[in-house]
Amino acid sequence: MRRPKAATPANPNSRRDRLASMLALATVICLAAAFLFSRDTQFLMPGPLASVHGAIENCSACHTKSGTGKLRWIHGLVAGNPRADSKACLTCHKMPKTAFNAHSASNAVLKESTDRLRKIAAATPEPLAARAQDSAFPTHDVVASGLDCATCHQEHQGVHFNLTKIANERCRSCHVVKFDSFDSHHPKFENYPFKRRTRIVYDHAGHFDKHFPEVAEKYPAKRIPDTCSACHDSRSDKRVMAVAPFDKTCTACHLDQIVGKERASGPKGIAFLTLPGLDVKVLKDKNAAIGEWPEASEAELSPFMKVMIGRDERGRALIKAVDGVNLQDLSAASDDQIKAVTALVWEIKRLFYALISGKASDVLADLDVGNGVKLSAGLITDLTASIPRDVVISAQQEWLPDLAAEIANGPKASAPEQAGWSTAIEEASSEEPSDADAPEDDTSVEAQVEQTVSKAKLDPPVCTASIFGQCLAFKAQKDIAGAAKAKAAAEETGGKTDETDDAAIENSPSEALEGEEADLPEGSEEEKADTAEAKADARSANSASDTQATAEDAPAGNTGNANAKPDDGKATLSADERPPVKAADQTDDLLAPTEQERRAIEAHNKHAASATRDKEAAGDVAPDLSAAAELQTGVAPVAGIASDVDPESWAEYGGWYRQDYAILYRPTGHKDKFIYSWLTLTGPQAPKGDTSPAAAVFDFLTHKDAQGSCTKCHSVDDLKGKGRIVNFSPPSAESKQGRFTNFIHEPHFQAVGIGQRIGIVENRGCLTCHVLAKAPPSEKTSLYLKSYEQGNPRHFVSNFGEVKKDLCQTCHNVSTARQDCLLCHKYHVNGVDTPIMNTKIPSQ
Amino acid sequence: MRSVGRQSNGSIGGRSPAGQAVQVLVIAAIAIGLFALVSVYGNGLRDPRYLDGWVLAAGIGLQLVFHTAMKTARLARRSALRFRTVHILVGYLLIAAFLSHSDFSLPDTSLEWALWASFVLVTLSGIFGTYLAWSLQAKRGIDERVGYDRIPARRAELAREVHAVIAKAAPPDATIALPAPPYHAWIADLYANHLRDFFQGQRNFTAHLVGSRGPLKRLTDEIDTLSSYVDQESKAKLAAIKTLVEEKDRLDFARVYLGLTKGWLFVHVPVTYALTVLVVAHILVVYAFASGAW
Repeated sequence: MRRPKAATPANPNSRRDRLASMLALATVICLAAAFLFSRDTQFLMPGPLASVHGAIENCSACHTKSGTGKLRWIHGLVAGNPRADSKACLTCHKMPKTAFNAHSASNAVLKESTDRLRKIAAATPEPLAARAQDSAFPTHDVVASGLDCATCHQEHQGVHFNLTKIANERCRSCHVVKFDSFDSHHPKFENYPFKRRTRIVYDHAGHFDKHFPEVAEKYPAKRIPDTCSACHDSRSDKRVMAVAPFDKTCTACHLDQIVGKERASGPKGIAFLTLPGLDVKVLKDKNAAIGEWPEASEAELSPFMKVMIGRDERGRALIKAVDGVNLQDLSAASDDQIKAVTALVWEIKRLFYALISGKASDVLADLDVGNGVKLSAGLITDLTASIPRDVVISAQQEWLPDLAAEIANGPKASAPEQAGWSTAIEEASSEEPSDADAPEDDTSVEAQVEQTVSKAKLDPPVCTASIFGQCLAFKAQKDIAGAAKAKAAAEETGGKTDETDDAAIENSPSEALEGEEADLPEGSEEEKADTAEAKADARSANSASDTQATAEDAPAGNTGNANAKPDDGKATLSADERPPVKAADQTDDLLAPTEQERRAIEAHNKHAASATRDKEAAGDVAPDLSAAAELQTGVAPVAGIASDVDPESWAEYGGWYRQDYAILYRPTGHKDKFIYSWLTLTGPQAPKGDTSPAAAVFDFLTHKDAQGSCTKCHSVDDLKGKGRIVNFSPPSAESKQGRFTNFIHEPHFQAVGIGQRIGIVENRGCLTCHVLAKAPPSEKTSLYLKSYEQGNPRHFVSNFGEVKKDLCQTCHNVSTARQDCLLCHKYHVNGVDTPIMNTKIPSQ
Repeated sequence: MRSVGRQSNGSIGGRSPAGQAVQVLVIAAIAIGLFALVSVYGNGLRDPRYLDGWVLAAGIGLQLVFHTAMKTARLARRSALRFRTVHILVGYLLIAAFLSHSDFSLPDTSLEWALWASFVLVTLSGIFGTYLAWSLQAKRGIDERVGYDRIPARRAELAREVHAVIAKAAPPDATIALPAPPYHAWIADLYANHLRDFFQGQRNFTAHLVGSRGPLKRLTDEIDTLSSYVDQESKAKLAAIKTLVEEKDRLDFARVYLGLTKGWLFVHVPVTYALTVLVVAHILVVYAFASGAW
C-alpha cells in the first residue's frame, strides 16, 4: 500500500526558498509596475533636487545620456562623453572656457599660484591625514583631466541641501600647502590686502598730515573729513569697501583743478582742432602747394586730429611721416618731408571741410582705434562733446576762408607769381621780404593792399564782441585806416587783386588735387567721389566763397574788393549787398538772424556803407564793427556786443571755445565725458612708449599737466601688451574676479564693535586692522606716490601696513569663529553667471 | 536526555566573553577603518558613495554565496559553524557600510525606501537570528539531538509518562493503622489542575521568548510544596513528575527557539532575495545616471 502523501512532512527550506523566489519575482513586478505607472523616470530619482534646481523636471536636462522616454535612460549605461553632463550645467551657469580647471582658473594662473605656494609648502608640516589621503587617493590625475561639476556639487541630496558646501579636506587634497585649519599652519599673509594698488591715487598720509590741517587752517568753514566713514562706505556692495562719490568727498578741494580754475599757465581747454603752425616761408620757397594757410599760427597739431587723420592707412602713414618734423621750422626738411607736410595740410583742410560739409559723427565713425569696432552713436557724441558745427564753421571762415574753393579745386604749386590767393599769407609771412619775394613792383599799391590784408589777417584782432566763445566783431587795428587808403588806391588798379585771386583760383583747380588723387590708393574711389562732389559743391558756392573769402581775408580792403568788378564778370558783392548765404547746411537756424533782424542789419550796413563812403571821401575811414563781424563769422551778427570776457574765461564751466588757431574744449567738471571717452577709446591702443596717434591722445590727456587732471587721482594701469587703462571705475564685485580671497567688512565692524565693548580689542575702529605705516610722513607720501609713477598695479607701497594673519586668528580659531576654507576663499575665481531666463514676451 | 552547552558540543551560541569582546573589537575596528577609508576617498575628490556602495554590494554578494553554499554544499558541521560565524561578522560590517552609504540619513524616494527597508529588514532579521543563537547559549542550551520536528512526539511521550506516573497506584501501608491521607488524590489534583494542561501542548511561549523561567518555577514550587506533605512513595512520584515537567519545559523552550530560528529565516532569506533584485536595479540606475566623479 502506498504511503499517503500528506504523511510526508514538507521541507521548510524548500518552502522558504519558494517564498524567497516568489518575493524576488514580486519585487521585480512591483518595480516594473511602479516604473511604468510613474511619471517619466522620476521614480528612479535618488532624492529631491536642491531648491535652486527644483524647477527642473526633465532628467535629461542634466543627465544628457538619459534622453526622453521611459527606457532611454538605459542608454546611460553605454559609455559616452563623460563631460557631457557637466557641460549641461554650463547651459545655465555661464563660465569661462576654463570652467573645468581647478578653480576654473587658467593654467597659467594655476601654475603661478602653485609655484608660489610650493615655496611655502616646504616650510609647512603636512598633517598625517593629508599624507594618507595623498598616498591612497592622489588627486593629480583627477584634476589633470578636469573636474566635473558633480565632484563638488552633489545633487539629489534634498531640497535644503547646500550644494556649495565643501569640506576643507577636499580643498586640501589638491593644494600643495597642506594644513588642518586656519589657526594651525595656514600660511601667513603676504602683503594683504595690497595685491594691487588702489584705483584712486589718494595719499592718506599726505592728506592726514598736511592737506587737511592746511585747509582747516586756511578755510575753517570747509568740511574736513573727520572719520573714515566720511569717505568710505561698504553698504551698497558688501564685498567692496567703496569710496563715496567725488561730489561728496573730493569736490570741495579738487573741482577747480578739474575745470582748470587753478591752472596757472597754459590753456585751460584741450586743443581739439587746430591749424598747426607751419614754416610757410620754406614751404613757399620749396614750391609746396599748401594753398591758404595762416602763417601766424603757432599751434601744434592736436593729437585728436592725428587720430582723425590717421583713421586710415594713408593717414597713419602721413602722421608717421611728419611725426619727427618740426612743422614750424622746415628749413632742414627734406623734399619728402616737405611733401608730407603739404599732404598734411591738405588732410587738415579736408578734415575741416568734412566736419563742416558732413557730420562730425561721420568723421569719427570710421576711426580705427577700437580694433575695427564701429563706434556707437553715444560714444561719438562723447568724443565730440557735441561740438556745435558753427564753432567749426566760424573757425574755418576765419582761418581758411577759401576752404570750399580749395577743396573743390585742389592744391596747386605755390609759385609766387601764381599763388595769388595765398600770397597774402605768404608775403605777410615775411616781415623782411627777400628780393626774390619782393620784386620792385611789390611797392605797388596792389602789393601794399595785399600786405595790409595779410597783416590784418595774420594778427588776429582783439575781439570786441563774442558769443559762445566766438568773436563776432574785432577791434579795428591801427593800420586799418592806412589799409583803407591802400584799398582806395587799389580801386584804381581795377581789381587787379581780384584778377590775381581769380586766376589763382581758376588755375589752382585740380592740378595738385588731381595729383593727390593720383596718389590715392586704387580703392579710394569713394574718396575721389567725395572730392568730385566737393568740387561740384564748391562750384556753386565758389563765387560766394570767393567774395566772402576775399572780404574776410581783407577786412580793411573789403570795401575796395566789394566795389571792384572783376574782369571776368564774376559776380562779386558790393558792400551794401547782403553777403550770400552759405550753403544751407552751414548755417544754424538759431544763430542766423531773422528776416526782421536781417532787414535791420541791411539798413545798418547801407548806412555804414554810405558813412564809410562819406568818410572815405573825407579820408577818414573808421572801422565798422558790423562789417568786421560779418567778415569774421560769415553770418550776419545779431548784435555787436562788447565783452571783456575772453573765450577761455567764458567757458569757465566747460564747453567749446576758440582761441588763436585752436578750437578748445574745457572740461565741464568731474566725469567729463569728452576726456573719459577719449581715454577709454585710446587707452587699449596706446601701449606705453607707443607713437601712434591713439597713444598721442592718451599721453596728452594723462600728462601730469593735462587739462581735467584725471590721472592725478585716477591711476593708470599698464596692461602689458594690451595698452593702458585709466581706472575710472571703482572696484566692484566684478573687478574682484580672478581673486582667490574674499573679505566682507560688514560683519567685522560688528565683531570689532563687540570686541571693543567687551574689551577684547582696542577702541581704534578701522585702525584696528588698517594701521598707518610707521614712517616719516614725507617718506610715506613719497613712496606711495612713486608707486603710481609706473604702470604695474601690482607694485604698490601703501600708506597702511599689511593685515597680519595673527590679527584674523584672534577670532578665527577653533573656539571662536568659523575658519573653513570657503569663508575667506572662493572656488570659482572667475565667477559663475546665471543669465536672465530666456522668456518670450507673452502675446495677446 | 542531555542538555549540553556549545563549548562542548558546538551548539548555537557565542564564544567565551573574551572571544566575543575580541569579535566586537574586530568588527568595530573594521567599521571605523571603512568609515575612514570612505572619508579619505571622498576627500580625494571622488564620490565616496561609489566606494561604500561597492563594499555594500560585494558584502551582500558574499552573504548570498554563503546562503548558496549552505543550501547546496554538504559542509562539515564545524565548517558550517565557521562559515556562519563569518556570515554574522560580514553582516555586522555591512551595517557599517550601509550607514556610510546612506550617509546616516533616511531615504527620500520610494525606490530608496524600498532598498532601505529591505536592507533593514534583512539586517534586523539577521541580528534577531544572531540574538537567538546568543540567547540560547546565554540562557539555556538546547540539545541539538532534539530536532524541531521531533518535539511534538517527545512532548506526547512525556505526557504519557507523566500520566503513567500519576496513574500508578501506591501499595497499602500495613504498618499504619490509621487511614492514610489522600496523597494520591492530592497528586491527582495537581495533575488535573496543572500538569495535564501543561503537558498537552506548547506552553509559556512568551516566557520562553523572553527567557523567563517563572512559569516553570511556579509549577515546580507547587510540586515541591506538595512533596512536603506526602509520604516517601509519593515524594518519589512527585520527583519523577518534576523531572518530566522540567524536560517538558525545555522542550517548550526548544520549540520556541527552534521555531523562531526557522521563522526568522522565512523573513531573512526571502527579503534578501528581494533586496538582491533591488540592489541590481539600483546599480543599473546609478551608472545610467552617473555624472562623473566616481
